[in-house]
Amino acid sequence: MLAALMGIGQATFASEIIFDEKDLKVTREVDGGLQTLGLKTPAVVTADLRLNEPRYASLPNIMKAKKKPIDIISIADLGVDAENRVQLIGVELPPERKAGIKVDDVAQLVDKLKNEAKVI
Amino acid sequence: MSVLIIAEHDNKELNQLTLNAVTAARELSDDISMFVAGSECHDVVSQCCKIEGLSTVLVCDSPHYDNAMAENTANLLASVVEEFDHILATSTTSSKNIMPRLAAHIDVQAISDVSTIIDESTFKRPIYAGNVIATIKSSDVKKVITIRSTAFDAAKNEGGSAEVVNIDALSDLGLASFVSEEVAKSDRPELTAAGIVISGGRGMGSGENFTLLDGIADKLGAAIGASRAAVDAGFVPNDMQVGQTGKIVAPDLYIAVGISGAIQHLAGMKDSKVIAAINKDDEAPIFSVADYGLVGDLFKQLPEFEQAL
Repeated sequence: MLAALMGIGQATFASEIIFDEKDLKVTREVDGGLQTLGLKTPAVVTADLRLNEPRYASLPNIMKAKKKPIDIISIADLGVDAENRVQLIGVELPPERKAGIKVDDVAQLVDKLKNEAKVI
Repeated sequence: MSVLIIAEHDNKELNQLTLNAVTAARELSDDISMFVAGSECHDVVSQCCKIEGLSTVLVCDSPHYDNAMAENTANLLASVVEEFDHILATSTTSSKNIMPRLAAHIDVQAISDVSTIIDESTFKRPIYAGNVIATIKSSDVKKVITIRSTAFDAAKNEGGSAEVVNIDALSDLGLASFVSEEVAKSDRPELTAAGIVISGGRGMGSGENFTLLDGIADKLGAAIGASRAAVDAGFVPNDMQVGQTGKIVAPDLYIAVGISGAIQHLAGMKDSKVIAAINKDDEAPIFSVADYGLVGDLFKQLPEFEQAL
């Protein structure tokens, strides 16, 4: 959505990013496999789980971070309409799946799948 | 009320998951159109025209709509959605790339992964890895929605006679270009469409051991999946992953082998009709959702299982 609002390119589910002077080459994890795109910068890239290992903040850096000034900007100052247009009207638990039975051996498993569940 | 469905395709074949969105659309309206943008995609257009329940197929055939790039596709979509109240697609990596971009273009809040349609603006969708079902109401004028393929049946892809309407291409935005694609080739059914899925987890031990599943999958006509643990360990490629961050499947039979059953994995398969599990740990959480559990050594049991079929 950000990329659309800014009128720039996008690459979602990125698993590899290569900087090539001022352009980007991004490999995306898609349903069928991998797709590689070339993007003009600036661009919006969203990371897939396998892109990298997250870097954790070290204790000294956490202490230093506490001293950094925090600049708070109110939504009104930005002049945007941030009203939520999707309203949560209820939550429920999904129908629970009950544990079935344990079978003793492969023969019994195949028999149950064939004759009781009738799925093979 | 009118609905526009985004057809997902590779310029030759319509992705069969699109048919599930047609069924969802029929719960909203009788006036349903399909949007096909591609390059040399006439085969797809003729397949779309035959889908039961469609009145119109909007077609834009131009080289820069090849590969369903989000930038150009969303831009074109934004120019045609004026007359539609709902814009629907099946939840896939492609629609998750395009639909939010479209939503931003037309200034609406996108709604993803809808599993139940209550009325024109109220929907149910799973949140927290499927552990909670949320009911939400949208006050946007237009609704941009992706639906869960496992929650809606596929519409019939024959018997329809939709009219083709050609739409003008917009200029290429030139923001992104397609470089290459590595598509996993397999003679087996698609994970998301297969009637039977057999998946291996960390317990398989190695990528080579996944061949133990091949013979069974061949005999059953099953697709082969994997848990994230098996993908992260490098046993198999990521397109085989079933789970919250992989594919969501709901086959008639799901066989989990050497999969402990982490909640993220269950999120991707617990709507399967029948679940069977083979695991050496009799406390594994997978047994709490499995209809049939077999405790034991998979290296001994898989060959026996294949023999018994």
